[in-house]
Amino acid sequence: MTMRGTREAFIQGLLEAAQADPAIVLVCADSFKAARAAPFAAAFPDRVFDVGIAEQAAAAFAAGLASCGYKPYVNTYAGFIAMRALEQVRLYAGYTGLDVKFAGLNAGIYGGEREGVTHQFFEDLAALRAIPGLEIVVPADAGQVRQAVLALASRRGPAYIRLGSGREPDILGPEHRFEFGKLKVLSDTGTDVALFTQGPVLARVLKAADLLTARGIGAVVAEAATLKPFDAEAVAAVAARCARVVTVEDHNILGGLGSAVAETLAERGLARPLVRIGIRDVFPQSGPAEALLDHYGMRPEDIAAVSV
Amino acid sequence: MLNQETRTALAAKARRLRRMVVTTVHQAGDGHPGPALSCADIVTALYYRCMRIDPAWPRWEDRDRFILSKGHACTVLYAALADLGYFPESALTTFRSLGSILQGHPDMNKTPGVDMTSGSLGHGIPVGAGMAAAARLAGRDFRVYTVVGDGELNEGIVWEGAMAAARMGLDNLVAFVDCNGFQSGGTTEEISGMNRIRERFEAFGWRCREIDGHDFDQIVDAVEETRAPSGKPTMILARTVKGKGVSFMENNNDWHKGVPDKEQLARALVELADGREL
Repeated sequence: MTMRGTREAFIQGLLEAAQADPAIVLVCADSFKAARAAPFAAAFPDRVFDVGIAEQAAAAFAAGLASCGYKPYVNTYAGFIAMRALEQVRLYAGYTGLDVKFAGLNAGIYGGEREGVTHQFFEDLAALRAIPGLEIVVPADAGQVRQAVLALASRRGPAYIRLGSGREPDILGPEHRFEFGKLKVLSDTGTDVALFTQGPVLARVLKAADLLTARGIGAVVAEAATLKPFDAEAVAAVAARCARVVTVEDHNILGGLGSAVAETLAERGLARPLVRIGIRDVFPQSGPAEALLDHYGMRPEDIAAVSV
Repeated sequence: MLNQETRTALAAKARRLRRMVVTTVHQAGDGHPGPALSCADIVTALYYRCMRIDPAWPRWEDRDRFILSKGHACTVLYAALADLGYFPESALTTFRSLGSILQGHPDMNKTPGVDMTSGSLGHGIPVGAGMAAAARLAGRDFRVYTVVGDGELNEGIVWEGAMAAARMGLDNLVAFVDCNGFQSGGTTEEISGMNRIRERFEAFGWRCREIDGHDFDQIVDAVEETRAPSGKPTMILARTVKGKGVSFMENNNDWHKGVPDKEQLARALVELADGREL
């Protein structure tokens, strides 16, 4: 499988968007290198701001830019946006509604892997999902990141896009078309189980579906790349035609995709056995990315096992 | 130096804004009169003398920007905006009420003339730095003013923003520190040790000046001085009196948040009447 970086893809998408829109600027918190932002700076040297290792100030500074008509993208580590600067994101992007976008690096344990807990962020979505008006996108691979950036650039208002380490497998291929706000069914071999997922763990879910198919079990794999606004109607429609529901996310099972699906089913009185796969409310440890996901119960075999 | 006529007019305007502050807090039964009275002269000098604004065009792109970083002092900002005609003065009677355009702390989307939402302390300098950087990038000559409390300087984000603004050389950013010596729980000395403010900002690379924050000549002079390019943001350390203008509120931190009753309001309004020196 080809590996490409979601960080590089973000900058590529931003570069394309910025060529069309002179209001787009980049704000870093000494994260310029980590963001792989050199191509953007080469093209638009005046449109890069670095406030130093100061994520709260980065978010506030971006709001100042946005209030004067610019469209800033704050690009730094996911957890330092979603947790250290949570209040600035809430107040100065969410509440003001200013056009400030956030790109969170190293998200999930897959993205943070060897850095350990300080750089593995698996609570970002839970924290940010509670902020009114903040749109959230969790792309699965580099190609989808690029399309998602372009989609977000065409939308006014605050948003968060989740990025990884810079070494993610290409999953969706060149034909994939990202549609903001839409659940996408990627494979459908029957109605024994509905597998909802988002982010790079999609690769594992697709493998799990193959394992199930080989055993004669039909599965729908549906990607919820937009976490907010959540495509609840489509999620409910897929769940309604399946016997079981499984969610797979590289995030705490509290507050992210699994919670959103559970809320969707419960609010509609749609009773289905539900298993949420993800970080089971524990702090993980350092390790190689794939080995970590294996260790924390996200092997394709683990996913397949709870699907029957 | 201001001429006598201007000085007198500014003083009269500040007295009027102070009367509006105590009346608004009384009517709402809630609010922070002490912090509002302490920065009333700075707000008056900025809105009636220094800033380039047009009340008929609140979102004018080339207007100077103002951030009340100490957002709890918002009654004085609301008073100025109402007096200038950004919205009807009658709105002041709805302060902090359900459905009001005047929220408990400043809200840029609900109140015409408010350039930036505030209330969570520490944000005037970092947000102002973003505005100042925007002006420079756009090639516009508007300036950015903020009023920060001395207690507010406890917040770490103030210094994050101060560092970035200095590194970027944003000399179109002017931060007043409304130095009244108090914060919510007591004096700044006893609660946080926030002293040597000038030295701290100088060490961060800011141009600093210390003034009497109730002297219009000094306030206006200090602002005028910042118009000369210096490559540095400016901090104006304004020595002020918390509760200034109402004798029983002055230097009495019970009025950080407090509501004058009918009798206290009447006394305050007498003390703030036209023709009296504060």
